[in-house]
Amino acid sequence: MRKPLAAVALLASGALTACGGTSAVADGGNPTTGGTIIYGHVQEPPCIFGGWIQQAYISRQVLDGLVTLDEDGSVKPWLATQWTVSPDGLKYTFTLKDGVTFTDGTPVDAAAVAWNFDYWENHGGNGTAKVSIDPYYKAATAVDASHVEISLHKPYPPFLTLITQGYFGIQSPTAFKARTEKENCEKPIGSGGFVVKEWKHGEEVVLTKNPDYTSWPATAKHEGPAIVDEVRWKFVADGVSRYASLSTGESHVVYEVPTVNWKDAQSRYQTIRYITPGKPVSFYINTKVGPFTDKLVRQAFAYGADRKSAVEAGFHGVIPYEGNPAVSQATPGYDAEVAKAYAYDPTKAGQLLDQAGWTAKNANGIRTKNGQSLTIKLVYGAGFIFTQEGATVLQVLQEQWKQVGIDVTLVPATQAELWGGKYSDASTFDATPSYWTSPSSAILWIVWRPSTEASPNGSNRSFYNNETLSQTIQRANSEPDTAKANALYGQAQKIIQDDAAGIGLYTQNSTYAIAPNLKDVWLEKSQGEPVFSDAYFTR
Amino acid sequence: MSALTLPSTTRVRLPSAGTVLALVVVVLVLVAAIAPGLLIDRSPTAIDLKATLQPPSWQHPFGTDDAGRDLLTRVIYGARQSLGIGLGATGLAFLIAIALGFTAALIGGVVDAVITRVLEVAFAFPALLLALLVIAVRGPSLATEIIAVGIGSAPGYARMVRGQVLAVRQAGFVEAAAALGHPRFAVIRRHLFPNAMRPLVAVVTLGVGQSIVWASGLSFLGLGVPPPSSEWGALLDAGRLHITSSWWLEILPGLVIVLVALSVTALGRTLQNRLGGASR
Repeated sequence: MRKPLAAVALLASGALTACGGTSAVADGGNPTTGGTIIYGHVQEPPCIFGGWIQQAYISRQVLDGLVTLDEDGSVKPWLATQWTVSPDGLKYTFTLKDGVTFTDGTPVDAAAVAWNFDYWENHGGNGTAKVSIDPYYKAATAVDASHVEISLHKPYPPFLTLITQGYFGIQSPTAFKARTEKENCEKPIGSGGFVVKEWKHGEEVVLTKNPDYTSWPATAKHEGPAIVDEVRWKFVADGVSRYASLSTGESHVVYEVPTVNWKDAQSRYQTIRYITPGKPVSFYINTKVGPFTDKLVRQAFAYGADRKSAVEAGFHGVIPYEGNPAVSQATPGYDAEVAKAYAYDPTKAGQLLDQAGWTAKNANGIRTKNGQSLTIKLVYGAGFIFTQEGATVLQVLQEQWKQVGIDVTLVPATQAELWGGKYSDASTFDATPSYWTSPSSAILWIVWRPSTEASPNGSNRSFYNNETLSQTIQRANSEPDTAKANALYGQAQKIIQDDAAGIGLYTQNSTYAIAPNLKDVWLEKSQGEPVFSDAYFTR
Repeated sequence: MSALTLPSTTRVRLPSAGTVLALVVVVLVLVAAIAPGLLIDRSPTAIDLKATLQPPSWQHPFGTDDAGRDLLTRVIYGARQSLGIGLGATGLAFLIAIALGFTAALIGGVVDAVITRVLEVAFAFPALLLALLVIAVRGPSLATEIIAVGIGSAPGYARMVRGQVLAVRQAGFVEAAAALGHPRFAVIRRHLFPNAMRPLVAVVTLGVGQSIVWASGLSFLGLGVPPPSSEWGALLDAGRLHITSSWWLEILPGLVIVLVALSVTALGRTLQNRLGGASR
């Protein structure tokens, strides 16, 4: 099946593609086989697979999915060579590629795929995979060895797109059941282009080539096992060191290039900037407790700071401003009109605050109402959601909000604090910015589904329960006509924006810089995971 | 001190140019800490998105940062926190040191043995790690940083205090006071404490410089005072990202820290010479 290397070289001339723009530094030289790619990543996940995007990045190297997303947004074959959808939209039948085995030698068959869906959905296998398909998913059954049928409770056209995410990587049930939790966590067994050889905690994960790889996706740049022998996936949290490692030759690829170095990177290396679809980095606004229970104050908050200029300055023009709090500009169904609302207007902000009764001012120029000053507690993930550059953006906004009489306290929170629940309760914050990547506007359902006692939604951090919004998103999710579905998603975005239940800030991005002599590193479309199985060095 | 040592001339010598310079720097920093508005009329958080990352100029002697904030203003306003941490941490360290040192030296016996062993273990433990432990437990803030640096540096001082108390206790005037029947507490208060502590004044001064550097180090690691504070270590941390493109953001606050720590240390040394010194 493997194409000769000359063909690889031809394919390689196709340069790098990703949304957002690319640049390549011309570097002649002949393709070689073998070698070790040293990749500088930022965060070390707790397990190789799981529901965090940091896990999707690395599990993509080891686990294959059923389907994948192409550049044009269409779903393409991977472990599944084809699929059919029943006319009522409730049954998806996938035909699996013949002869594929996991790296423990067991077959990638329909039973294995069905087991994985059951594991994600019913056994806590992957929280993000679960919320992505809930409550539509019903069951997965093996029709025969090579056909798996997934049934839904209600039609859900985004289903196919959603399962292209790295969270849906298929593991060997045999290995999973036979081994300890720790072994599965550190060395999951899939059918991917690489196998986890070793995890040196705090340092790196060593991935070695799977020589028997047969299940590359339809979007691969070559057919056959990985061309390099090894990928050393290093964790270098510090941006300065990470970027410097590229120029000293200590790494070949680095993730999250500090934006201050982006121009330099473009002139010296191949670069990829990928704008992540899904919820951008936008503020959840606490509509349940505190000053933001008043819509006028929320709107004043949105008008009161020049978010666009702050983002442009803080990220040196590299990362785009995103005025739409609900979905980013890379998401299918994005409504660009919605993004235009609340352009910086301090006068308007002042009028809205007056209208809301925050008319008096204290000695520091902060507005007051009934003796209470207008203080907003803004909690943000320091160092993992917000880089130093992002923190500068918040400081700029803080200063601007002060000018309109809103006193914003910035509270940097660690990952342990934020995800450990310290700021889960509505009484603990007024606004908190974060993102949630997803290749579909169906993300709206995950984030904005109303919380009920029977089914609380911890992801709805604005505590915004709007039945009209809920109905609109559900209609969009089940609408078979894409144009109609997008119109409904647009309506949903407008409701969120009009009510200022969220406030836009910037797009979540993945930026990469790649050494000139390493070719064909590319990003898959769904979440911007780097793909190394097609990459090769030139000499 | 050897019997052959010639009489010291330090007491009549005028302060050196270095000492005067150090004094000027320390006075300036004190003014900056107490009334920064006297030195500069800008706000440390005032942004100007049209003048971001400007190199040093007449208008902005230290340049501007990525939010267009004037770096000199930020350095001046950061003095209060940096110096506050330096003074607070050293003060806390000495309080702990006095309590432990006096208890050990005066009670003696098993208590002394236990305190001394504990101090030796704590002393052997890297102070910065001790400080990191405190931050890990309490989470980063100004108060935590003071406590962390204070606790981190206390063991060394406690050993010194204990040594001083033991030495002074043997002195003739203390024994004489005790022999004359002065109550024990009065002897400690009037004779032991002032005489044991006098040589440590210089050590305290040296400690302030040291604490400023440590606090900056912790803030540099992102463990210090949260933004938008312009504490000097936090400025260094923020400037690090720009070191290859906007050098002033890293170099100038760094030089200020060095200059202040050097000045405080130089003053400490001068004091040490004049007060007779204390040895570790």
